Amino acid sequence: MNETRTNLQKSAGLPDVNVLDFLTKYFIQSLLVVAALGLGAVNPYFRTATNAENVLLQASFSGIGAAGMTLLIVSGAFDLSVAGLLGLCGVILAKLAPDIGVTLAIVAALVTGFVLGLVNGVVVTKLQIPPFIATLGMMNIYVALAFIASAGQVIPASDVTFQFLGTGTLFGVLPVPFVVMILIYVICRGILSRTKLGRYLRAVGSNEIAARTAGIPVDRVRIIAFGIVGGCTALAATFLTAELSSANAIMATGYELTVIAVVVIGGTSLKGGKGALFGSFAGALFFAMISNALNIFGVGAYWQYVVTGLFLISALAVQALRSSFQTAE
Amino acid sequence: MTNHDSEQGGQAVPRLDALAHFMGVFESLGVLVLLVALVCAASIIAPGFSTYTNITNTIIMASITAAAGLGMTFAIAVGGFDLSVGSVQALTAIVAASLLGVASVPIAIIAALLTGLVLGLLNGVIITKLKIPAFVVTFGMMSIVRGVALLVTQGQSVMITKHPDFATLNNGKVLGVPVPFIIVLIVLAALYLILHHTPFGRHTCAIGGNRAAAIASGINVDRVTILVFGLVGVTAAISGVMLSSQLMIVDGTLGTGLELQAIAISVLGGTSLSGGNGNLVGTLLAAVLLATIASALNILKVAAFYQYLFVGVLLIFALSIDTVRRIILAKVMLRRI
Repeated sequence: MNETRTNLQKSAGLPDVNVLDFLTKYFIQSLLVVAALGLGAVNPYFRTATNAENVLLQASFSGIGAAGMTLLIVSGAFDLSVAGLLGLCGVILAKLAPDIGVTLAIVAALVTGFVLGLVNGVVVTKLQIPPFIATLGMMNIYVALAFIASAGQVIPASDVTFQFLGTGTLFGVLPVPFVVMILIYVICRGILSRTKLGRYLRAVGSNEIAARTAGIPVDRVRIIAFGIVGGCTALAATFLTAELSSANAIMATGYELTVIAVVVIGGTSLKGGKGALFGSFAGALFFAMISNALNIFGVGAYWQYVVTGLFLISALAVQALRSSFQTAE
Repeated sequence: MTNHDSEQGGQAVPRLDALAHFMGVFESLGVLVLLVALVCAASIIAPGFSTYTNITNTIIMASITAAAGLGMTFAIAVGGFDLSVGSVQALTAIVAASLLGVASVPIAIIAALLTGLVLGLLNGVIITKLKIPAFVVTFGMMSIVRGVALLVTQGQSVMITKHPDFATLNNGKVLGVPVPFIIVLIVLAALYLILHHTPFGRHTCAIGGNRAAAIASGINVDRVTILVFGLVGVTAAISGVMLSSQLMIVDGTLGTGLELQAIAISVLGGTSLSGGNGNLVGTLLAAVLLATIASALNILKVAAFYQYLFVGVLLIFALSIDTVRRIILAKVMLRRI
C-alpha cells in the first residue's frame, strides 16, 4: 500500500501531497467534480445556467434532510419515517397557510416536524425498538395521518411567498433552498464539532455502553438527534411544497432511501461515531446531478429506483472493503 | 424451546427453561386469544362478517401475507430482516403473469419461484460476503427490484388472459377449504420441519441467538445466512404467484408495504426481534388476525387511510410487547446467574 502510494506520488511529481489519501478522503467530492465535468463536456444542455440552478434546487431537498440524518447516523440510529413526515408537514403547511399566514404556517410545520421527530426518538429509546423498524412503523402512521389531514387530496399552496421560497434565487443564480441548505450544513457542522451535544452524539455513536458509563444521557442525546432530523425534514417539506405549489401525503415517496443513500455515499459510516457532513453535502449534489442527467438523456424515471439502490449498496460495499483493508494494514 | 437453551449457553437453569417454555406457549396462545376475541367482536359489530364468502376471502387475504411472513420469521430467527419482500412479490407476480402469456402454468410458476430464489440468494451473498447489515442491503434491493419491476412492464399492467384456469389457484376449494390456505399450510409444515427438525434449522437459530458462538462452534454462518435469505425470496415469490392468481392483472406497484406487514405479523405472532427463534404458527395466526381486522374495517366502511394507520400502530404495539418480553427474560436471567 505504502509502496504504491510513493510510486503514485513520484509519477505525479507531487512529493508533498498524498494523492491516494486525498482521493480516499474526498472520494465523493472528486467523483462529483469528475461527473460534473464529464456530463458538461458531453451534453450542451447540462452546462446551461438554468440546468445548474435546477440541479442545485433538487439537491437542496435531499441535502437538507441528509444534514440532520448525518447527525442521527453519527449517534448510531436512523430514521426511515422521513418520507411520511415530509408529506405530513407539507400537508399541514399547505392547509394552514391560507388561514394563519405563510410565516406562521411554516413555524407550525417546523414545530410539527421537530416534535414528531422527538416522538420517533422516544419510541426508539424508551420503547427500545430497533430504530429502522420503529421508524418504518412510524412512517406508516405519518403517511396515514397526512392522508387523513388532506382527505387524500392535493392541497394547493399558491401564496406569493411560496413562489419566492420555491423558485426564487439570490444573486440571480443561487436558489433560495440551496442557500438555506448551506446554512443548515454550517450549523450542523458547528453542532457536531464545537458543542457539547456534538461530542455527546459522537460518543454515543462510537460506544454506547462507554458513553452511558461516562454519565452521558444517551437516550436524551438520541431523542434530540431524532428531533433535528424531524426539523430538517419539515424544512425540506416547506421548500418542496413551495416548489410544487402544492402538497399531498405521498409527495416524498422514497425520500428516506435517497437521504440515507446521500449520507452513506458521502462517507458517513453506518456504524456511527463519525460523520462526514461535507461528504453528505457533496453526495446530495451528486445524486441530484445523476438524476438530472438521467432525465436529460431521456432514461425513464423507473431507472432512478435502480440507480439509487445500486449506489447505496455499492457505497456500502466500498466502505466495507476500505475498512477491511485498513484492518489488514 | 431448545433454542433458548443454546441462547443461554450451558448456564441454563431448569426453572428458567420452564419459564421460557411457558412464555413460548403464551406467545402462541396470546395471539390466538386475541384472534378469537376479535372474530367474536367482528361477527357481532360487523354484519356480514361471519358469512362463508367473507371468511373465505379473509383467509385468502391472510394466506397471501402469511406466505411472505413465514419467510420473514425465518429471517428474523437468523437475526436479520428482509425489506425487499414487497418488491420481490411484485416482480415475481409480473414474471408469472408475463410467462403465462407464452408458456404453461407450471413453467410460469417455477420461473417465478426461481426468480425469488435468485434475488433472495443475491441478498444473502451481498450481506455475508460484503459484510453489510441485512436491512440496508435489502433496503437497497427493495428499490432496485421495484425499479426492475416497473421497467419490465414499462409501468403498464399485465393481464393474464391465456390461462383462466390459473385463477383456481386462488378461488379453488378442496373440501370447502380455499386453495391458498392449503398452500400456506404446506409452506408452514415445510418451514416448521426445516426450522425444528433439521441441522440447518438449528444452525439458523444458533446464528440468530449468538453469532459469535455459532462461528466458534464451526457453523458455516455465511452459507446458512445465504440460504435463509434464499428461502425468504422463495416465500415472497410464492406470495407473488398467489397474488397474481388472485388479481389476474398485475403491475409494478404491487406489494408496497408488504415488508411492514410481514415483520408485523412475525413479531405479533411471538417471534422476538432479538433473533434465535421463530414462531411460525404464531405468524400464520397473526396474519389471520391482521386480515380479520382489515375485513372488519372494510365492512364497517372505514377509509383505507385508517387501516394504514392501524397497521403502523399495531406494529409499534407488537414491538413494545416484544421489548417488555425481552426485558423480563433478561431480568430473570440476571437473577438466576
